[in-house]
Amino acid sequence: MPGVLPRTLPASLGRGCLGRWLLATRGWALLGAGAVPCSCPRWRLRPPLLLRAARQSFGTQAGGLKAAKPGGDNKDVSVHRALNEETLVSAAQKVKEAGRDFTYFIVVLVGIGVTGGLFYVIFKELFSSSSPNKIYGDALEKCRSHPEIISVFGDSIKGYGEATRRGRRQHVSHIEYIKDGLKHMRLKFYIEGTESGKQGTVHVEVKENLETGRFEVRYIFVDVETYPRRTIVIEDNR
Amino acid sequence: MEEYAREPCPWRIVDDCGGAFTMGAIGGGIFQAIKGFRNSPVGVNHRLRGSLTAIKTRAPQLGGSFAVWGGLFSMIDCSMVRMRGKEGPWNSITSGALTGAILAARNGPVAMVGSAAMGGILLALIEGAGILLTRFASTQFPNGPQLSEDPSQLQPPPFSNYQQYQ
Repeated sequence: MPGVLPRTLPASLGRGCLGRWLLATRGWALLGAGAVPCSCPRWRLRPPLLLRAARQSFGTQAGGLKAAKPGGDNKDVSVHRALNEETLVSAAQKVKEAGRDFTYFIVVLVGIGVTGGLFYVIFKELFSSSSPNKIYGDALEKCRSHPEIISVFGDSIKGYGEATRRGRRQHVSHIEYIKDGLKHMRLKFYIEGTESGKQGTVHVEVKENLETGRFEVRYIFVDVETYPRRTIVIEDNR
Repeated sequence: MEEYAREPCPWRIVDDCGGAFTMGAIGGGIFQAIKGFRNSPVGVNHRLRGSLTAIKTRAPQLGGSFAVWGGLFSMIDCSMVRMRGKEGPWNSITSGALTGAILAARNGPVAMVGSAAMGGILLALIEGAGILLTRFASTQFPNGPQLSEDPSQLQPPPFSNYQQYQ
């Protein structure tokens, strides 16, 4: 606690709680860590909160006190400063420190690189118009607004992709291939309606349009898993 | 699809909660074992006892907080899937952000926003890693026969063929 509490305490300390004096003069943020004696009855419930608050601002408090009392505690401040100053740093130690800093720097760079790569992947997947996820979303919207689909599956249709180990079904299976110099992509996802047991497989193919750079739909059709297998064609632009 | 007829969603919550607890307990156990070992007096018996005490005290706490995070995340994720009607990476990122926000609710709105940002970014990174892994794993297997013909299900509708010849 030296260096935390001010050196001179007022005479009112004898009459009241230390905690109340500190609160009255400097505000709650300046309580020293653990300085509030629990004998003050009204603060019995407060100490944990105040201690936490005090610990949070402990770092600024020491600097604040040093800055606030330039005249009186000069000797104490200068003693602390002399103790904190480093002794002579030899060349070998400098080299070791430089090597350690360099390794840390490399580690930080690798970390930033990996994080940046992951961010790039997720942005491309979510925001680029040529990502399978976006095409799946558009196709699902078209399925939802198609009257024949609604009549077969019901009103609310949910779509999902392939099931992974944990049961999450986010991955939509897709294949990209190049035909006649243009990029094509085929997707396959599943839809399910409110009526139980009615499941369907949606096949989508998109073709790249060189002028706009976006993917255009070539066809969308739905295979309904009923006994006489039905195929509903939603869009056919071949 | 028939063998996995059960919907994953409500049961996924219990799965994720338990998985998160296990991760937290094992990770916390290892970490606390080392910490307890180092912070004990000299002597192998003292150190072992110290690390065991540390594990017994702290590892369930860490497991519990992980379990809360995992269970809440999965609950919000399943609710979003039910509301939106489709599954995708956006659900996970939003669920992560909401989980972070809810768990920081006792610290005020600013802390909620910061915690939500952290949760969302963490989930975005995890989703990105998942996408990378699936892409990488799918390129490992040689591709099937290139289907350059259109599938046979498209033959029935005759009108489209007419349009092409106009």
